[in-house]
Amino acid sequence: MESSAIPASDSASGNRPGVEDKGLKKNAIGFVSSVVIGVASTAPGYSLAATLGFVAAAVALQSPAILIISFIPMFLVAGGYYYLNKADPDCGTSFSWVTKAMGPQLGWIAGWTIVVADIIVMANLAQIAGLYSYELFGLTSLAESTVAVTALGVVWIALMTSIVVIGIELSARTQVGLLAAEIVTLALFAIVALVKVYSGSAPSASIDPSLSWFNPFSLSPAEISAGMLLAVFIYWGWDTTATINEETENSTEAPGRATVVSTVILLGIYLIVAVAAQSYAGVDDLIANQEDVLSSLGTEVFGEPLDKILIIAVLTSAAASTQTTILPTARTTLSMARSQAMPKSLGKVHPRFLTPHISTILMGVLSIVWYVGLTIASEDILFDSLAALGLMIAFYIGLTGFACTIYYRRELFNSVKTFFFVGVGPSFGGAILFYLLVKNAIELSDPANSESGNSWLGMGPPLVIAIFFLILGFLLMFVQWRKFPAFFGRKPEVVPAGFLEGKAPAPGPTGAGPEELP
Amino acid sequence: MGQIVVGYDGSACGDAALDRALDLAGELGDQVTVVFGYAPPGLWGGEIAEHEEAIEELGEMVMAKARSQAAGRGIEIDAQLVAKRAAEALIEVAGQRDARMIVVGSFGDPPLKGIILGSTPNKLLHMSERPVLVVPASS
Repeated sequence: MESSAIPASDSASGNRPGVEDKGLKKNAIGFVSSVVIGVASTAPGYSLAATLGFVAAAVALQSPAILIISFIPMFLVAGGYYYLNKADPDCGTSFSWVTKAMGPQLGWIAGWTIVVADIIVMANLAQIAGLYSYELFGLTSLAESTVAVTALGVVWIALMTSIVVIGIELSARTQVGLLAAEIVTLALFAIVALVKVYSGSAPSASIDPSLSWFNPFSLSPAEISAGMLLAVFIYWGWDTTATINEETENSTEAPGRATVVSTVILLGIYLIVAVAAQSYAGVDDLIANQEDVLSSLGTEVFGEPLDKILIIAVLTSAAASTQTTILPTARTTLSMARSQAMPKSLGKVHPRFLTPHISTILMGVLSIVWYVGLTIASEDILFDSLAALGLMIAFYIGLTGFACTIYYRRELFNSVKTFFFVGVGPSFGGAILFYLLVKNAIELSDPANSESGNSWLGMGPPLVIAIFFLILGFLLMFVQWRKFPAFFGRKPEVVPAGFLEGKAPAPGPTGAGPEELP
Repeated sequence: MGQIVVGYDGSACGDAALDRALDLAGELGDQVTVVFGYAPPGLWGGEIAEHEEAIEELGEMVMAKARSQAAGRGIEIDAQLVAKRAAEALIEVAGQRDARMIVVGSFGDPPLKGIILGSTPNKLLHMSERPVLVVPASS
């Protein structure tokens, strides 16, 4: 009668042998959901609205070519995520992969960088969500009031945080609804704009689309790096897809395929909307409306009252992304807490909702504190911190690319395929991202290039902000290190030779988190 | 000997349900099976194994609490962790044990909140082919 943890039967959740077996996880995420979450976390609607004008200013008609080139490093590292996930599907974050391949210190910093980047971007997303909520209902005076926008932005963060805590079905429904609204409106926009261009009812500045827009070889190296600095980060978010792992028998392929499909969908959305916007309005108009390309174009393309459609696209994009930003970050901190790399309470789950509620709520609260605090203290710093985001994203995604090559170093020369896709590809992608990181850092070191134009310690504020968070990360790491030295004493691991051919077992017992190691 | 299946999650309303189930078991001479459904809230969360381990640990803790609560009254219980959502887990175990009834606690959530969050007692009442006893948390 004292028996515990006997599986009730072979159920939909798989024939679990019992809770002692920590390795098997069935009934995980489906293919479609993976794709949805990957696309949604990237926030294509908002990314386009905020980026397209700047890219046009840098490379004129070649924006589609830049979008394709920028896709390459992210795509190569995405391949690395796929292979890392294959060897270590239990801990789906850069934190754990970098820890395993390159040691706990770098791994900790990678996890920390994800958390910081997500908190910073939340402020931006909340602001957009607040602003566009008012614009949707034509409340112009409220949209212009910082207090009103910030208040509504906080409401959005709180709302999305509670949805993630309550979790389960509600998150799913919210995400599907928001993403569908976003994609449908973007598609409508592209179709109507292109129809108007070809039927001649577009404004005189319109240009028929040309294949030459896609040609990357017409760009100078300077244009390429300037354009990539802007465009590479609009693909940020796909890594959420790769963190999702499925442990049904035949599913080592499914998460990888979902990653590829969602990045390709993103590329498709970006190219179609960029071509439509550019051919409808011409480059000058895009540059003139840099801050938000889509709202102004929406009015031109659809006219009243349908112009609200693109506001919906950007609003749902920002709202959905708020949710998909809290979600993986809380998972990263959960993972870190259970490896004793962060305080233990972050690894707890809610008894009723079964979600990592403490991690999630902490993320929401920190985001609100950061957002409101900086809005009060200095909006310049808020914008400057967004400029620092690129450095952080390039750092942790690039680092993960290198981690793939290092983790698989005994497997690289098995075949031409593994050499390129596991070895060269991810590291090359990582190298491009690190190049952009350095390039960006040099640019940001000049105070004149920041939003505020301020000079801190002779450098631009974004660079100082990035360095500040790096130092803070090291300090917190040492605090945790002194308290829980076990995690930080872990040795780097390597994927045994023969793993990819199925000749060697996966490194370590499946499900062995760092906490199970001596 | 009859069987009573009770849903327990360590919360106040779970305590109320377990208490009442132990009362009834004493009066009827039944055995008590305590069930904790721990289907991870995966789907869209992209839950990782660590998340699931955390949930399983929580389940063990909850079950230990249930055992000590029952032991305090001199009753031995059968504790079951089931990797399903609460309502499905209860129905399944009740079916296997051919239980007399299922006992669950009610949070006393307002109806609308129950609709949005999906309340377990509500689901049970509609899905179960066996009698369901819903115990208010305040009782």
